[in-house]
Amino acid sequence: MVEPTAFIDEKIAEIADDVGDANAVIALSGGVDSSTAAALAYEAIGDQLTPVYVDTGLMRKGETDQIRDTFDYMDSLRIIDARDRFLDALSGITDPEEKRHAIGEQFIREFETVARDVDADYLVQGTIYPDRIESEGTIKSHHNVGGLPEVVDFEGIVEPMRDLYKDEVREVARELDLESIIAERMPFPGPGLAIRVLGEVTDEKLAVAREANHVVEEELEEYEPWQALAAVLGKATGVKGDNRVHGWVVSVRSVESRDGMTARAQELDWETLQRIQSRITGENENVARVVYDVTHKPPATIEYE
Amino acid sequence: MTRIVVVDNHGQFTHLEHRALRDLGVDTELIDNDTPPEEIDADGIVLSGGPDMDRIGHSPAYLDLDIPVLGICLGMQLMAAELGGRVGAGDYGGYADVTVSIEDESDPLIGSLAPETRVWASHADEVKELPDGFERTATSEVCNIEAMSDTDRNRYGVQWHPEVAHTEAGEEVFENFRDICAGD
Repeated sequence: MVEPTAFIDEKIAEIADDVGDANAVIALSGGVDSSTAAALAYEAIGDQLTPVYVDTGLMRKGETDQIRDTFDYMDSLRIIDARDRFLDALSGITDPEEKRHAIGEQFIREFETVARDVDADYLVQGTIYPDRIESEGTIKSHHNVGGLPEVVDFEGIVEPMRDLYKDEVREVARELDLESIIAERMPFPGPGLAIRVLGEVTDEKLAVAREANHVVEEELEEYEPWQALAAVLGKATGVKGDNRVHGWVVSVRSVESRDGMTARAQELDWETLQRIQSRITGENENVARVVYDVTHKPPATIEYE
Repeated sequence: MTRIVVVDNHGQFTHLEHRALRDLGVDTELIDNDTPPEEIDADGIVLSGGPDMDRIGHSPAYLDLDIPVLGICLGMQLMAAELGGRVGAGDYGGYADVTVSIEDESDPLIGSLAPETRVWASHADEVKELPDGFERTATSEVCNIEAMSDTDRNRYGVQWHPEVAHTEAGEEVFENFRDICAGD
């Protein structure tokens, strides 16, 4: 395991040395990796670093506000409202890989604009060790700003956490006094809620996914899942107040894991499951039923797409 | 310090094998499976799992080196296929939680896990017939040959994934392999 204090001192010196007097940018997703990398780099070079958070409209309930609060201390923070542009880019796309691709492309466009605007020579990334290995795998394409260096001609890329594992990053984040909500935060995929709605991304499905994910995270907090989520699968028949409805099917998933490489579906109380079901169908008139996913990883992945 | 290299056969858990060894304090390195055998300088080799028998590179050649070899999942299957055994599709895919019975308590690799251990697996194929010189050291309801050993030649295979967090005594398998490589 990494020794956080020594690691932080070493990396701050290294980043300051690498970047010198130049400007740098980092894409802040709100996840542990990019948050930790941003905090390290900000310690090292202050406002020479521009952290960029893109509000894609695919984030969880309240997430953008939370990011704004947490990183308020960075004067150079930029929050870009790109919600409409992402929804446009995703219109009509149903294939999961194409969805990821469209999001990645749009993200690069948004980020490129800022990188040019602040005249950035360096790109800081929260790449961790498994990212480097997995990028050659074929399970799912990774969403990050991987394509950015081809669009913007950076002088260098700084990846302070390239040799760390996820749990080690959390140790470092804790040591950096990042709010516990960031350090302990559940992993959330780069493409966000877009891959928690199967098929085409629409406003309606996103709204259901956003509310359902909120309910699941709230209700399952005491189970301390490594990751808990809700996904909108498709439509099925239900009956509400004597009326037949053709509404959304929401799948609830909650797993325990060390590193996301393998996962065990959690055993939840019937009462908890029923409360989740009742809240999701009660608060969303267009949801017809709620199911619980009991599949481990493997054979299933944690996310649905 | 004992040095054990991990050969990457493109498995999604390969880096966890590297990590398990690193966390045990072993001098370890992840190497590509097209590394020429003569360039390998180590006291032991782990052959990782992977998706495809056509992408195992020089792995068969590493079996001829005079150091202990541990094959994991596809790594075990390629060892069996190369040394005269047979690999085929299992009747039942082995995924996630499997209870494995240890058959040989004196086996240096997994004997210490007896009588049984809970493991995480992920495979469709399995070893159907042992190569000459090998003994079956573990079995389960979903897979007849869960582990095999040839202690004379120090060749070992496990069908499950000792490197993942959900496998109960995974670390112990790596500790035992480290001891084998150190010649203890």
